[in-house]
Amino acid sequence: MVSPVPPQAVSAKQAGRPEYPLDPWLVGVTLLLLGIGLIMVASTSITTAGAPLHYFVRQSMHVVFGLCLAWMMTRFSLKMWENNGPIFLLFGVISLMLVLIPGIGHEVNGSTRWIRFGLFNLQPSEPIKLLFIIYLSGYMVRRNTEVRTQLRGSINPLFVLAIIAGLLLLEPDYGAAAVLFATALGMLFLAGVAFWRFMGGTIVVALLSAGFLLMEPYRLERLTTFLNPWADPFGSGFQLTQALIAIGRGEWLGAGLGGSIQKLFYLPEAHTDFLFAVLAEELGLAGAILVIALFAFLVYRAFLIARRSEVRGFPFGAYLAYGIGLIIGLQAFINIGVNMGMLPTKGLALPLMSYGGSSMLINCVAIGLLLRVEKESRFLPRKDVV
Amino acid sequence: MIRVENTPDSLQPTPAIRRWLVLFVLTVFVAALVWRVGDLQLRHKTFLQMEGQARYLRVVKSPAHRGMILDRNGEPLAVSTPVESVWINPQVLAKTLMPKTPTDESTKIDEQAVAEHIAKWKTFGKLFGWEKADLERVATEYPNKQFLYVKRHVDPSVSAQVEALDIEGVHLAREYRRYYPIGEVAAHVVGFTNVDDQGQEGIELVFDDWLHGIDGEKRVIQDRLGRFVEDVESIRPPRRGRDLMLSIDQRIQYLAYRALLAGVKHNSARSGSVVVLNVDSGEILAMVNQPSYNPNNWSDRVSNRFRNRAVTDLFEPGSTIKPFTVAAALMSGQFRPDTLLDTSPGLLRIGRHVIKDIHDYGIIDVSTVIKKSSNVGASQLALSTAKDAMWELFFNVGFGEITTSGFPGEVPGLLPHFSEWSEIHQVTLSFGYGLSVTPLQLAKAYAVIASGGLHRNIRIQSTEELLLEEKRVLPADVALQIRQMLESVTDSDGTGKRARVNGYRVAGKTGTIRKSVAGGYSHNRYISAFSGFAPVSDPRLVVVVTIDEPSAGKYYGGEVAAPIFSEIMSGSLRLLGVPPDEHSIRARRIVLAGDRIAFREDPLPLELFSPFLASESVPQ
Repeated sequence: MVSPVPPQAVSAKQAGRPEYPLDPWLVGVTLLLLGIGLIMVASTSITTAGAPLHYFVRQSMHVVFGLCLAWMMTRFSLKMWENNGPIFLLFGVISLMLVLIPGIGHEVNGSTRWIRFGLFNLQPSEPIKLLFIIYLSGYMVRRNTEVRTQLRGSINPLFVLAIIAGLLLLEPDYGAAAVLFATALGMLFLAGVAFWRFMGGTIVVALLSAGFLLMEPYRLERLTTFLNPWADPFGSGFQLTQALIAIGRGEWLGAGLGGSIQKLFYLPEAHTDFLFAVLAEELGLAGAILVIALFAFLVYRAFLIARRSEVRGFPFGAYLAYGIGLIIGLQAFINIGVNMGMLPTKGLALPLMSYGGSSMLINCVAIGLLLRVEKESRFLPRKDVV
Repeated sequence: MIRVENTPDSLQPTPAIRRWLVLFVLTVFVAALVWRVGDLQLRHKTFLQMEGQARYLRVVKSPAHRGMILDRNGEPLAVSTPVESVWINPQVLAKTLMPKTPTDESTKIDEQAVAEHIAKWKTFGKLFGWEKADLERVATEYPNKQFLYVKRHVDPSVSAQVEALDIEGVHLAREYRRYYPIGEVAAHVVGFTNVDDQGQEGIELVFDDWLHGIDGEKRVIQDRLGRFVEDVESIRPPRRGRDLMLSIDQRIQYLAYRALLAGVKHNSARSGSVVVLNVDSGEILAMVNQPSYNPNNWSDRVSNRFRNRAVTDLFEPGSTIKPFTVAAALMSGQFRPDTLLDTSPGLLRIGRHVIKDIHDYGIIDVSTVIKKSSNVGASQLALSTAKDAMWELFFNVGFGEITTSGFPGEVPGLLPHFSEWSEIHQVTLSFGYGLSVTPLQLAKAYAVIASGGLHRNIRIQSTEELLLEEKRVLPADVALQIRQMLESVTDSDGTGKRARVNGYRVAGKTGTIRKSVAGGYSHNRYISAFSGFAPVSDPRLVVVVTIDEPSAGKYYGGEVAAPIFSEIMSGSLRLLGVPPDEHSIRARRIVLAGDRIAFREDPLPLELFSPFLASESVPQ
């Protein structure tokens, strides 16, 4: 029998040395996405009356702060996250509850999503995503056998998730809940939940979602307006039609940076959720495909890291990397899909690109954790090879 | 590779197939995105771009410049200057004043911005005298309207302030505003345009088609707040209006204006008019009226002041018609200037009516009828003249017919047809009652005498080519004789001695007209008139002055209107550089003594003279 190798073969001190550089591919793709995002935030918000660089300056601060956090993440051992996942998650859940308390939570556009901290507004639904992934990764390491063999093992974390999702739905933030469910299911699947059990769980979740939607007829109606936005282009379909027009104006190479017309107040939320539409308008098909490819590469890289970590006997890192890859990939897919009218409109930001402090910081932290996983697993011996 | 299966207690890697499965799903996602983005950007682009253009492309007018109105020397009388008009989008105002919910994550800044915004709107309101309540009223009344003029044609300083404020929903629109450099001096002639640059009065109205430009159109990109971001293409360039040169001489116009204004004030008159005509071309050199108005000042635009009284107001010409009565008598061949008439005892009874003179002039010649303005003498001449001949002359010199000036609201006046004349009618007509004329008509009639008997069309437009349509309506000798008689009016013992001009020989006729009131003629309301021309040796200008209801004591034409005439005539002659002709007085005396006529420097050809005169005066 193979004696279990201590998972943390490389200590934090060792990992900090120069002979352990960060994964250049991941760093590169992240910086590219951040850079393009920053340029597009500047371009889309330049029309803001009075302070054309207001959003750009703030977003730059978010990026700089986020990069610092990411660098810090690469310095700390993952053991801390693995062991304290439930506690961190508890904090996250508390913040989710706080946001629902009138007076603390701040309502915008009918959704209570923000807690105000002076200059910075925290959106608890962003950290909860990452905290849940950390918790789930640790849980699946600790209860690996149960997860793989017993129904209880895979149902328990879903109960935790149900509580979180319930809190998210109260805000309401359907998008975050949906992404989190999909990510959790994906992680459970990748961690080895028995196939039929997984299918059953997926079907149950799907049925529950369908039931939730059908409970109130307006939910379904609002959900399906994306299928034909041109039916009511000045009402419910307004934002989407403007986004589609923006994308349609792009053609092959786009209208040129700064050449967007739709950002001239036609397309609401151009610098946040609909950044991609303006990007497609200004940079064309080439720019749009570049961004999609960068996200695809980022996810692929996360999966590579995860797999390496897995085969080298560092399952926490593997699950964490899978989770981060999935959540970034899914959010990007949903956001871009929403921009192009393929999916119902959800308040989901484009990771690493859209304007928004909480989302930017959390995604930077996630990238930092991913880099740390790569680092810690780099010199582990392959475990499946004797 | 050894797969460790069924060893649940160890942390074995899951089968690679799972990872590939997930990656496959994600790849499908990516493929879907790529397909969709290509589909939108390449296949649906036409539809999407058309939908977009329907939202952001707008066709807007580019306003055209209206043509200038110039005087005969090219001085501007009306010019268009670009100005800005301020309009707002009430919808944006409503949103600013009554925000529903903040729309952004950084709400704190938003609140500040909103407060700033409202402060800006308040500053904006103050520029136009709007209180906060006014802004709120606009916001509540028109929450769904997109366009509301705040003020049109604002001062450049105001538009600069508005631009500096840079408020969302406040816009400036380029328009043209009409300025009238000499203001009320030429107000009645030039007229004015309305705020939309359409002619409303005067020349602006008559020549609107000529003056107005054709607005161009261009396609622009506008943002959702209605601001024009970029010009895309010009559909049609604006076509500038054409300039119009008037026959008016701004200097004479100003002179006449000043003299009339002073005269009307001095005599506490109700109103007054002056017309200055160029004898040789029939051009109107000046036309002024009191009361006037400043067309640049909108609050001054009171409709009762718009009347161009020189063409719209009729009056009975009174004694100023007498030269034509005498001319008709001379043309009949029964009278000569020195034919004697017995006007004693200073009154004449026609049926129930009595015609009176101020004094009993006794036995006077025909010339003196004009000089002393004898009603009895004029009546006697009229009674000896055929009705149709008299009517024909009156009609030929332009009474009872609209002139060719083309002014809006011009009236033809009233000249009853001779078939309707009774004896008393003919008599009253001989001294200017029973018919009505405009000051312009009177000026035109005097121009016939001044030009030696030629009728010329009145013109207000100065054209390069002289399209002179002349018609002889008075034999030259008769015209010259009348001219002499009229000159005697300004002799030191004539009624119009105050009309004299230093250095020039002046001919003219006074008129003191009782205004007709209900039931007859008033005894205390008069129109004072003076109509004349100068220099007599070669008449260049006709000036007609009418003063309505002078009420400061004096009311005789020779006392009220003649000084005004003199002032205008003297100034105009000097402005035009007309050489003084006082020296030619002696020549005239000689001619009179020798019964020969040579008033111009060059003697007139004989064939112009009427046969009877020619036969008698041809030197043997």
